[in-house]
Amino acid sequence: MRNALLFLSATLVSVPALAANQVALENSVFVERVQTDANGRQRVLLEEPKVVVPGDRLVFVLNYRNAGAQAADKFVITNPMPSAVRFTDAGDSQPLVSVDGGRQWGPLPELTIAMADGSRRAAQPADVTHVRWAFQKPIPAGGTGKLLFRGVVK
Amino acid sequence: MTSKLTYMGTLGLAALWGAASIPAMAAGTTAGTSVTNTATVDYQVGGVAQGQQSASNSFVVDRKINLLVEEVADATTFVVPGETSAVTTFQLTNSSNEILDFLLTASQIVGGTATHGGTDTFNVTNVRVYRDNGTTGTVGSYDPGDALVTYIDELAPDTPIRLFVVADIPTGLATGAIAGVQLRATALEGGGGGTQGAAVSQTSGANTAGKDTVFADGIGVNDGNRDASHSDADDYTVRTATLTVTKSSRVVSDPFNGTSNPKMIPGATVEYCIAVANAGGGADASSVTINDSVPGQLSFVAGTIRLNGTVTGGTCNADGVAGGSYAAPIVSGTIASVAAGATRTLIFQATVN
Repeated sequence: MRNALLFLSATLVSVPALAANQVALENSVFVERVQTDANGRQRVLLEEPKVVVPGDRLVFVLNYRNAGAQAADKFVITNPMPSAVRFTDAGDSQPLVSVDGGRQWGPLPELTIAMADGSRRAAQPADVTHVRWAFQKPIPAGGTGKLLFRGVVK
Repeated sequence: MTSKLTYMGTLGLAALWGAASIPAMAAGTTAGTSVTNTATVDYQVGGVAQGQQSASNSFVVDRKINLLVEEVADATTFVVPGETSAVTTFQLTNSSNEILDFLLTASQIVGGTATHGGTDTFNVTNVRVYRDNGTTGTVGSYDPGDALVTYIDELAPDTPIRLFVVADIPTGLATGAIAGVQLRATALEGGGGGTQGAAVSQTSGANTAGKDTVFADGIGVNDGNRDASHSDADDYTVRTATLTVTKSSRVVSDPFNGTSNPKMIPGATVEYCIAVANAGGGADASSVTINDSVPGQLSFVAGTIRLNGTVTGGTCNADGVAGGSYAAPIVSGTIASVAAGATRTLIFQATVN
């Protein structure tokens, strides 16, 4: 399967952070759709979230930029999952996640969920309540980056 | 760009797409719900914590129109000719993310293959649709407490309801006759309790930032893909009793030869056998009443009537149980049941005058 990633040129639904701050963060959401052309090849299209119905796959994109003159250290981006969206994956960015409303954090495979009978089961993507990226290295002045994670409309 | 995470912009979508699975979603988030996602950044500069930054986006969940009409039990309904209120059972599920009304349309096929096989050969009459009363009466089965409906009012998402297509069966039909019926439901606007809503229409042209409408239903037996309708089929199969009556007689004895090669001479005793055969593959016949006139040249022998006897190789056996009655010149008897494929007899004796 060959995929082409197309970012449509339409205006993104996003709210830039305050310009006065040293760090700028931009948060966008796209609907991920698969189109199959006449040759049977599939293309993944990222569209504006205009038509969104339950079951649609969403891609949340976070763009950050250190607009200041100094490096930003202990750089942590936290994104609580909207209640109507079920987390599916964050690609290979390996974020820390929380499955208990932000109290405990860790890689998803290391987290567990308490069962009614007292035992614990492995946490699933659907259990994720928060996603967090904690950068090990400072973001240098002018440094930018992009993070993304996926979810499905409940 | 020293962040080790900056390569994220070119995530391998192919791998991700293949790995992620989407569980089947039913109704889901209510249409019109605004979903806001907010991310925050905490950081330090020169070892001093800076003010938290945040960024949000939001979108509105649109309306997905989806419904499912399913036949229940997946088997034909066996009926007898002349039966009234013969029932086929369906289930309707609103899989949309909004409360909706649903118009119901029961129809019949003319010819063609019925859903459970065989060719449609007749039409039922007086076709109507009832909604099961889920609290009183026989829940899940048709009973007089169920409501005659033409549409379903304000059906909540993901709450299946049971519907009955009820019809009358014409008389004069043979075993194996088939009538196919179909039930189609079409989504209508909800929101007006007690009144039938208007037709729903899909948002055409440019998408809007508000609540749009998307048809997401599949193909049914008499509706198309993504048309806000869905349908399924069921059928009636006639199973009746087909009776054949044969009458035979034999000389049992005469005054001179006794039972050895008796002849039909005055004073001889004759045994009559009326055999009722019910054709195989149909229904059992019950309360089969047989009447036979004793010829004027013969005299009925009291106490010789036997009912429910059998036939072997076309010959009546001398079995059965005593019963029946005689009111000159008619012999009568009622056999409680003749099963499909079976033959039962009435036997009596008379003497030649």
